[in-house]
Formats: sequence, C-alpha cells, structure tokens
Amino acid sequence: MAHAAVEDTRVDWEAALVQRACAGDARAFERLYREHAGRVYGLCLRMTRDAQLAEDCTQDTFINAWRALPKFETRSSLSTWLHRIAVNVSLAKRRKVSVSPVEPLPEDTEEVRPDEWALETPVEVQEIESAIGGLPDGARDALVLHALYGYSHGEAAQMLGIAEGTCKAQLHRARKLLRERLNVEVS
Amino acid sequence: MSGSNEGTELKVTRLAELPRSIEPGRDLWPNIESKIKEIQAAAPEVSGASVIPPRRHRARLSWLAAAAMVASVAVGVWIGRSVLPAAGRGAAGTLATKSPPGFEAATEATAFDAAYVSDPRYQRQRAALLRSLPARLAELPPESRAKVLASLATIRKAKQDLESALGKDPGNALLQELLVDTYQDEMRVLTDVHDASEPGRGI
Repeated sequence: MAHAAVEDTRVDWEAALVQRACAGDARAFERLYREHAGRVYGLCLRMTRDAQLAEDCTQDTFINAWRALPKFETRSSLSTWLHRIAVNVSLAKRRKVSVSPVEPLPEDTEEVRPDEWALETPVEVQEIESAIGGLPDGARDALVLHALYGYSHGEAAQMLGIAEGTCKAQLHRARKLLRERLNVEVS
Repeated sequence: MSGSNEGTELKVTRLAELPRSIEPGRDLWPNIESKIKEIQAAAPEVSGASVIPPRRHRARLSWLAAAAMVASVAVGVWIGRSVLPAAGRGAAGTLATKSPPGFEAATEATAFDAAYVSDPRYQRQRAALLRSLPARLAELPPESRAKVLASLATIRKAKQDLESALGKDPGNALLQELLVDTYQDEMRVLTDVHDASEPGRGI
C-alpha cells in the first residue's frame, strides 16, 4: 500500500513535469531525463551492444521525446512511451551501422506458457549479460523487452514492429541459445 | 558489453533480476539541452507564455515587477501557510459576466489558490487582472485569444497536478519550486495580456 502511494506521487509529479515541459520548460524536462535516462540507456545498450551507440540512441530518444511531448497522453506510462521511442531509435541506428539483416523466423503458433525466465542455478550477472549480448539481434531484442523489461509478447512485438508469433519464436530461440551458452536450464 | 553497472559478481536466478537501469558513462543532458535550445529557437511558440511577442521596455518592467511580487509572495506563502487562515475563492468569483468560451475553465481558482496563497497583494493583483481579462481578451484576435486561453488552461492543469502531488508529498522542495514557477507563469500571461491590449499596443 505504501509502495502504491509512493508510486502515485511519482506519477503525479511526472504528470506535472510533463505539463511544464510541454509548455517549454527545459528544466522540467531535465528532471524527467534524470528520472528515466538509466532505463532508457540500459535498453539502448542491450539492443545496440555498443556504449557509444547507446549514448547516441539515448540522446536521440530524449530529443525525439521533447519534440513529440505535446502528443503524449499523460494517462499512459511515460516510461513505456520513452521505451517505444528508444526501441525505434535503436533499431534505426543499428540498421545504419549493420548490413546483416535480421534472419526471419517462422511464427510460433504454439501456446506459450507463462514464463519466468528462471535459471536452474544462480548465474553471475556479467555472464548472463554476455550471453544475452551474444544472441542474434532479433532474439536479443525480444528477450530484453519481454524478460528484462517485462513487456508482454504483444507489447514487445508492437515495439519491434513484428508479429506476435514471430516475437514468441524469437523468445523460443533465445531460450534455447541461452541454455546452450549458460549451460543451465532456463524455464 | 561495456558500460554496465558495478557489482558484476552478483548472481541472479531470474532474468528479471538483472538491472534495468544502467547509467551512461557520461552526462548526456548537456547535449540534449543544447539540441532542445536549437529546437526552441527554430520554433519559439512552444511555451504557453511565449504566445505573446516581445514587449516594450515598460512591459518588461511590469512583468519583472509582477514576477518579483509573486516571488516575494511565494516566500510568504511557504512560511505562512501553516499559520495564516485560508483565503476565500475571491479571484475567480469576481469575474465579469461576459467571458469568452473556455475562460472560466482556464482561470478558475484551484484548491491550492484558496488554501495557500493568502497574501492580499497577490490576491488583489490577480483578481484585478482576472476581472479585466474578459475585456482584454475580447480585444485580441481570435487566434491569439485561443492561445492565451489554452496557455491558462495548461497552467491551471499544472497547478492541479502539483497540488495533487504536494498533497501526498507536502515537503517536496521541487514541487514547491515548480508551483511557484507556475504562479509566475500565470501572472506573466495575465500581465502580458493586460499590457498587450492597452491602446497603441498590439499582440
């Protein structure tokens, strides 16, 4: 309950900051940046696997957000909205620096069970990050959005501009590859 | 992957336990701010207050005087909020009857106005500006009038949001600072409209 109250305050505060930023207040927008930069950068870094590129993506995300802020619906989540922009920016940047296309996968039509992405035995953060970083782009994108950032299959698919079935197939592939690379069961 | 958080020796049993937030290696805000300033310079009519073109020197002085007054009021507000009795909703209630559509919604006093802004000078000044606002607005072109009303509505919404947040976190210095800024914005718009519609001036 206390957590909910804190969350409410945060959201109210955020709405006020968004209002002020919409009115041209860069200082209010800076507060929003300070609040969300870490999560946006974390997402960009995992998608691009390059610190410099991730910084560029983070900057572009907030610049694009500033431009589009009047269109933002204050009832929706600013965090999710920023992540959508960050994914678009990261995909576009990655396309520019990479010539290897994302390999197409058949859609996964099987019913996917609720997944925990739990590891059979504890694994070091660095080892997992390294294993995730080594996944093919499509599988890594789906995994990061779904397993790390908690978006549903549908939300992740929408952000990535792919079909939900394709997203599930990428997750299936990511799970298989992680099992092989970490040598632990991923349920 | 470079740039990841410290404490990499930590172990996790679920991918969701991995840190979502990773701080960039440097502060990215200066570059973002610089770009934002370029955007603002290219499209100056972003701010609600900036719908009014630059004023003459006298109008500037008047705005500065109003801002200084609001700032001084604000100090009194925060000091006196716990001892002074709540002021009534006098400002919006004294409006002239002939108001443009959307006027009441944009200028209606919020609960915060009534409860916290008890300085009589501020109340008198705001009430006087609000009383004359319908007539002043009527002298403006429809497009400018709509922009002013939209600005005032935005300011009112910001005040409501801040009031709501302060209700839950009354000691939050940032919220208090933002609220004072918002009062200043409102006074600035009201003063600009007042000055702009004086004979010999345009908007």
